[in-house]
Amino acid sequence: MRQDNAVIETDRLGKVYSGRKGQVRALDRLDLSVQPGEIFGYLGPNGAGKTTTIRLLLDLIRPTMGQALIFGQDARENSVELHRRIGFLPGELNLWKNLTGDQVLDYVNSVRGRNDLPYARQLSERLSLDMGIRVRCYSSGNRRKLGLVIALMHKPDLLILDEPTNGLDPLIQQIFHDLMRETRAEGRSVFLSSHILSEVQAICDRVGILRGGQLQAVETVSALRSADFRWVTLRLREPVSPRLFDGLPGVSDVIQSSDGIRLRLVGDFDPLLRAVESAYILDIRTEEPSLEEIFLTYYGSHALSATSVEMAAR
Amino acid sequence: MTGAIFSHALRRNWRQILYWGLGMALLGFIVMWVIPDVDALQRTTEMLQAMPRPLLQFLNADDMAALATPEGFISIGFFSRAVLVFAVYAVSFGLRVTANEEDEGILDVLLSLPVPRWRVVVEKFAAYTLMFLIIVALSLGGLWLATSLTTLPVNMGRVLESGVAMIPVVLVMMALTTLIAVVVRRKATAVALTSGIIVGSYFIDFLGRAASGTAADSLRLVSFFNYYDFQAIIQTGIRIGDVVLLVVVTLVLLGGTVWAFARRDIGT
Repeated sequence: MRQDNAVIETDRLGKVYSGRKGQVRALDRLDLSVQPGEIFGYLGPNGAGKTTTIRLLLDLIRPTMGQALIFGQDARENSVELHRRIGFLPGELNLWKNLTGDQVLDYVNSVRGRNDLPYARQLSERLSLDMGIRVRCYSSGNRRKLGLVIALMHKPDLLILDEPTNGLDPLIQQIFHDLMRETRAEGRSVFLSSHILSEVQAICDRVGILRGGQLQAVETVSALRSADFRWVTLRLREPVSPRLFDGLPGVSDVIQSSDGIRLRLVGDFDPLLRAVESAYILDIRTEEPSLEEIFLTYYGSHALSATSVEMAAR
Repeated sequence: MTGAIFSHALRRNWRQILYWGLGMALLGFIVMWVIPDVDALQRTTEMLQAMPRPLLQFLNADDMAALATPEGFISIGFFSRAVLVFAVYAVSFGLRVTANEEDEGILDVLLSLPVPRWRVVVEKFAAYTLMFLIIVALSLGGLWLATSLTTLPVNMGRVLESGVAMIPVVLVMMALTTLIAVVVRRKATAVALTSGIIVGSYFIDFLGRAASGTAADSLRLVSFFNYYDFQAIIQTGIRIGDVVLLVVVTLVLLGGTVWAFARRDIGT
């Protein structure tokens, strides 16, 4: 259904790539809307169709079906006008290698026909980016920072970011999260794709889960958190019986391995630690669940197997 | 902002303009330097007359009367080579209009800015055209400098006309490369196709010259090189009809590029 104030709205948006090996349906009838002042996380494993969606929104590729509206305007017909209001960071960022960071910003600034360089300098200082170095000499993380400056420097109404924190160190990731929160506080919107659940949970308001080119669900982050769990591996000096964990709140799938005990934990650590207080703990390791596991938790095995069958059929 | 891509392309490539220009100016200078006097020119012509005619036709140097004059020698010694060297320029810079940046993934960033696709094509093509004009000017400068150091009576007006007439044929080759690169999307394929067409065009022209009055001769109509007869230009002056035709073909190819580029996916 059409929402008049939606920043992004797609209507049965689809893309089929034709190649030598036949046709590949990269995106299938996507219906999605992003609201003003919202950070929308677009979550899915590699190859799910996230980048295809982003490239369609930016009119870099053309849909084989459906339509995308941005600020109520057709993303294809009004692409030039819309791009004035959009900041974009591609997943695989390539820039003019022989130019310095400053020269790249200068070029982008002149193509936009604006003077955003003072704010761009502030951003580069905040991200600890040396602008006097040639792009070819930047590390992948620094190249990513430059990409973020390009996307943010004109304070766009909509940011479209494809895997924005890839290659950024944790400190810069925090600064990035702050920048996103500031963007939201100013009433601007962010559409960011990721395959990292924790990143999406940290800054997003809502999340769309994409799989095999199909949007499986759109949920608030708080709803997603309810499906949140961790894999915990306890390495103990003396082995303990897995039965010790029977009935512990939030603990399931207990497996004894050569490393120690591996289990699935939902909620607080405290009951688990109290249960093993008599044992000598050498190490505790936690792992985030994969998207597949979250998906399985959230939608059940039936939904997962149905989607898997669809993907296999393709 | 209009012109930003144009000026960026010029700024990024000024060194190359200089290298190309100085290289071609040096070639022009050397060509003039090896004509010490009219007697030597006559001896060179006699020596060339002993060579097989098909070879002279292939080198576009079969007109002995023209060759015996300083301008004729310049046309064969410089312009016959320059047009082939500039064919390399045409392919190399034709690829820079869209293919190189698309191949490197840079176009994604550029086209996410408020710039229509046609402007990317037109501004870059205009920049590389201006660069080529500068290179031709530097080349002619080299010829002029060497001429002014000799006592040979050279009609620089005709030399200038030969230089000007070369511009549209190179632009046709550059526009063709740009169009093919946009349509086939693969740089290597575009290079192979364009080079094949240029070499084929050269051979068609050569065969047609060698067998005048035959079907091969009438095929010359489809060769770029048929419309740049530097021997005829140096003797009788620039042929405006050919120049106009080549400019029109360039514009048609450029229009086709803009049309095709606006309608297709980027980077797939």
